[in-house]
Amino acid sequence: MTQWTVLYRKEMTEMVRNYKILWIPIVFILLGVMQPVSSYYMPEILDTFGDLPEGTILEMPLPTGAEVLMQVLSNYGMLGVLILVLSAMGVVSSERQSGVAGMVMIKPVPYSSYILSKWAGLLTITLISLFIGYVASWYYTSLLIETVAFERIFQSVVIYSIWLVFVVTLTLFFSTIMKGNASVAFVTILVIFSISSVTSILGKNMTWSPAKMPEHTGQVLLSGELESGFLLALITTIAIIIVVLLSSIQIFKQKELLE
Amino acid sequence: MELLKASDLVKGYGNTNAVNGINFHIEEGRCVSLLGPNGAGKTTTLKMLSGLLEPTSGSIDFKGEKAKDLRPFIGYLPQYPAFYNWMSGKEFLVFAGQLAKLNRKEAEKRSEELLERMGLANAKKRKIRGYSGGMKQRLGLAQALIHRPELLILDEPVSALDPLGRREVLDMMREIKKETTILFSTHVLHDAEEISDSILIMHAGEIAISGSLRSVMEEYRQPILQIEFEAPAADWLKSIASYSFVSEVNIQGNKTSIVLKDMVNGKQTLLKDIVERKLPVRKFEISQTTLEDLFMRVVKS
Ligand SMILES: Nc1ncnc2c1ncn2[C@@H]1O[C@H](COP(=O)(O)OP(=O)(O)OP(=O)(O)O)[C@@H](O)[C@H]1O
Ligand SMILES: [Mg+2]
Repeated sequence: MTQWTVLYRKEMTEMVRNYKILWIPIVFILLGVMQPVSSYYMPEILDTFGDLPEGTILEMPLPTGAEVLMQVLSNYGMLGVLILVLSAMGVVSSERQSGVAGMVMIKPVPYSSYILSKWAGLLTITLISLFIGYVASWYYTSLLIETVAFERIFQSVVIYSIWLVFVVTLTLFFSTIMKGNASVAFVTILVIFSISSVTSILGKNMTWSPAKMPEHTGQVLLSGELESGFLLALITTIAIIIVVLLSSIQIFKQKELLE
Repeated sequence: MELLKASDLVKGYGNTNAVNGINFHIEEGRCVSLLGPNGAGKTTTLKMLSGLLEPTSGSIDFKGEKAKDLRPFIGYLPQYPAFYNWMSGKEFLVFAGQLAKLNRKEAEKRSEELLERMGLANAKKRKIRGYSGGMKQRLGLAQALIHRPELLILDEPVSALDPLGRREVLDMMREIKKETTILFSTHVLHDAEEISDSILIMHAGEIAISGSLRSVMEEYRQPILQIEFEAPAADWLKSIASYSFVSEVNIQGNKTSIVLKDMVNGKQTLLKDIVERKLPVRKFEISQTTLEDLFMRVVKS
């Protein structure tokens, strides 16, 4: 068994012991299920709680299944990303702070194995949460609203997962270069927020941006077709992920790990 | 045989050098202690040897060859060992063993062995979170030994322990010494005297004194007179500094220690002085400088 496997298994065991493997998927399931449920019941909710004048007739068209799922992904893009960043912020920095990273690296472990096992652990929890939450959402959407073709679901979740992988890779990077957990989370969120805003403001000039991924996801859901800029965005996103990972490894090598 | 040799090792932080060009070597099978006051550069030196800290300049040879990655051959116990507190003691050892390239079975077997040896067998299933300081130190020792390293490096292994825990760890080190070369840092001189064969005394990033414990003691040992007065005798003590046989006078309250170059002559003269001046002596003792005196001298200079 390689050291990478040992470290990856340790990551997974840790997530089981501290229940991350439970609560993060649960958050994603809740976020995913709440959307179709609240869309479906919205007229009744408004009827009961909304302070509407007597006799108002509510004309609320039920959103399409694809629209509901787009809304779900947009929730994942806000709360989901926040949860992922917060749960991953200490992935390296806490271990450096406590000194246990030094205890690991004092054994003949390649620096890349340490970082890549962390990355794989983050990917596992992220993808599990996204897939389970999204499938739950799809199920409730079909039940209450309408069935969206499985093919579109599949394509959209794959594209969206690339965006989330980008997010957690950034978190891993900042967790490697900084020591304080709070600053890791703050800077990561700030960077992601900036990328997203700049991309949506400059739109056409940023077809390569990783933040285009959520847009492409919506497109696939609505039309089943990929926009032309997709390939470019995909390639740059993957390239950035690789560069960020490699830099994380290099920077980790330079860090002082023992007190 | 020479196991490890450090040549002109330097580690700079900013514009100061924590370690300032040190040279030493470690013979296989020896137990070497690295002595020095706080901030002397002990931890920095050990970290460079362990491979976790890149020297600013200088080189480290292992078994006569330029070292690349020494981690497979070294077991290291940091000054402040840390663990995954959610693991049990046994889990952590197996984990550490596998990281050191033992297969699962070997790692399990070796862990059991070491837990037994470190007196942790009863606590092996408990979470490390609940371990006492002494237990953590012993677990740290066990993880350092897990892959049967050729050189065991311990950074202040007993400094944080109470007298009982310190006794336990020292006894373990005495056992380990039989099979492994040990380099350990400490500022407790008594421990160094007790278990090491050679000593390196560091001060301000440099090695001030090195050699086998015996030769260092012999070389630097000086006769010393300890006089205790009932009342301060400062005037007289000031005046004796001019005698040619006196090399050093240290006054601490009513107690004074006088390092002599010539014991026979000095003793006679000083005794005569005391009698003539009717100085109120409580104690007059002849002894030899200890490692502690030597250490203090190095640190003060
Ligand atoms: N990361 C660092 N950045 C800047 N200076 C450092 C760093 N690490 C150590 N130093 C400085 O280097 C010097 C030697 O430190 P070192 O930890 O090696 O001493 P030590 O002999 O182990 O002391 P102690 O007995 O307190 O453990 C100290 O002056 C310390 O301030
Ligand atoms: Mg130290």
